[in-house]
Amino acid sequence: MTLSSSPVGFDDIAAQKRTPPVYRRRRGAIKHRHIGSYIAVAVVMIFFLFPLAFLLNTSLKSNAEFARNPMGLVIDPQWSNFPQAWSQGGFGTFILNSLLYTIGGAGIGVLITLVLGFPVARGYIRGARQMMIVFVLILFLPNALITQFQLLLHLHLYDSRLGYILIVAAGVGVGPLLFRGFVTSIPTELDEAAAIDGAGYWRFIFTFVAPLARPALTTVFLLQAVWIWNEIILATVLLPDQSKAPLTLGLFRFQGTYTNQWGLLSAATILVATPLIIAYVFLQRYIVAGVIGGAIKG
Amino acid sequence: MHVTFAAGLLMLVMFGFVPAVGVLVISFTDIRGIPGIPTHWVWLKNYISFFSLAHRRENLNAIGNTAEFAIASTLIQIAVALAIAVLLNQRLRGRNFYRSVVFMPTVLGVTVIGLIWSLILNPTGGPAASLLALFGQKSAFFGDPALALKLVILVQVWAILGVSVVIFLAGLQAVPTDLYEVADMDGASRWQQFRWVTFPLLAPSMTANVLLGIVNAMQSYQLAYVLTGPNNKATQLLSLLVYVQGFGGVSYAKAAQSQGYAAAISMVQFVLVGIVTLAALAYLRRREARL
Repeated sequence: MTLSSSPVGFDDIAAQKRTPPVYRRRRGAIKHRHIGSYIAVAVVMIFFLFPLAFLLNTSLKSNAEFARNPMGLVIDPQWSNFPQAWSQGGFGTFILNSLLYTIGGAGIGVLITLVLGFPVARGYIRGARQMMIVFVLILFLPNALITQFQLLLHLHLYDSRLGYILIVAAGVGVGPLLFRGFVTSIPTELDEAAAIDGAGYWRFIFTFVAPLARPALTTVFLLQAVWIWNEIILATVLLPDQSKAPLTLGLFRFQGTYTNQWGLLSAATILVATPLIIAYVFLQRYIVAGVIGGAIKG
Repeated sequence: MHVTFAAGLLMLVMFGFVPAVGVLVISFTDIRGIPGIPTHWVWLKNYISFFSLAHRRENLNAIGNTAEFAIASTLIQIAVALAIAVLLNQRLRGRNFYRSVVFMPTVLGVTVIGLIWSLILNPTGGPAASLLALFGQKSAFFGDPALALKLVILVQVWAILGVSVVIFLAGLQAVPTDLYEVADMDGASRWQQFRWVTFPLLAPSMTANVLLGIVNAMQSYQLAYVLTGPNNKATQLLSLLVYVQGFGGVSYAKAAQSQGYAAAISMVQFVLVGIVTLAALAYLRRREARL
């Protein structure tokens, strides 16, 4: 199964589903069963949403109020927790760092995917078959933390933003595999037409293939971007300089500094989580498509 | 074409494959974390040291924890995900919203998730503590060695359940509706329909989920790291041990430490993951063929 031209989101899954006749025939049974289902759904929703709601509630409490009444709804909302967390945590710098690493890393990753995936899918390169094996192998490499560190050390890229970006950019994961599957849905006639018109390979790949493959490339970009945005161990090891830390590391250190000041900690967590949740609401269809595609390939 | 292809390949090889293969190479050396100190070939010494009496306790503990973590989180994740997928595959009002909520933690990242659950499981006055207090109980949660790993498993399941649910949902869509019609005509109950129609046809999704779960669980240690720190015996996983041995738990602290030994742990872990994954794959493929 390959990625279709428009990624499968939850809506598409829903659209495909038809009512089994069993629902239609036993009317009485439906209602009864659905009540049970809604109760089960409610339990699931509480399991997933309660932690977030509790976080939000706590983020508005002062230390005194949290100590007095950790469980109750907030009485005296401390909106100042948010600006305070922002400035004390220095999150402005960390967000810029994270944006740089994520856009740079996932951007380079997509480029790699594009320039490798296309010729391999088309068989324009000798050893295309072997490259397929390479694409699968990159999913099953050993934990290379130590050598990534040693490599950057010897390239004099240790504690450098560029070094970190190069390492995370190479973490393309299922990207090339997903993209290769997608390319097979682009007709080869297009390549021939472009060749006849005298379009060079680079122009062809960037002005024809890339726009056509945008849904697939977006998925590849987002999968890698989510990984990089949330990465913490490599950043800890490769970027000891505090001012180069990404947001994850900034938040983790903030937690170490303000242990048990839960109002402030929760406010900081919300500052970090909100952009992620907003981005997720708009981009989830691509991520879901990538996860499904990746699982089937892998 | 060849230029860009070569450039892309070079990037991937240089920063992806070289470090990966390098792990094996440097696991035979006594390479250190600071440049300038001469490196020697020590061949199998790191591996012998791994299995030596001095390290045996620590390493067996880590292997045991890794096994418990991998088995429990994979099984729980699959069982719960299957139930939720079947639940959310029904025609329910607002089901796209429910699906989105279940999938959401997969984008939140370990630091945010770690903080949320540290708050929930905070021993002084957190919701979990208050719940226990209703029954007159008390717990140190992550501070309790008997409980810490189980709680990390709980958080891990919460964090990546959505991935399994989505994969199962995709599998459920692929089950032809007429099979249910036939089963219904034959008078099969809801449970029988699930057991004899849905479940066997979900075999490919099951394979994907089991493999994903195993590989994920045997390699992921970030949650254990953010929830309980790098040096907690109770939640020491093999992959976390690599980090601790290589970098001393705090970044770049014990530079004199041999990273060759850490690389050797990486290799042991890699071989273990490989064996378990291949065995599971062989079993699941056979099972798929049988069904």
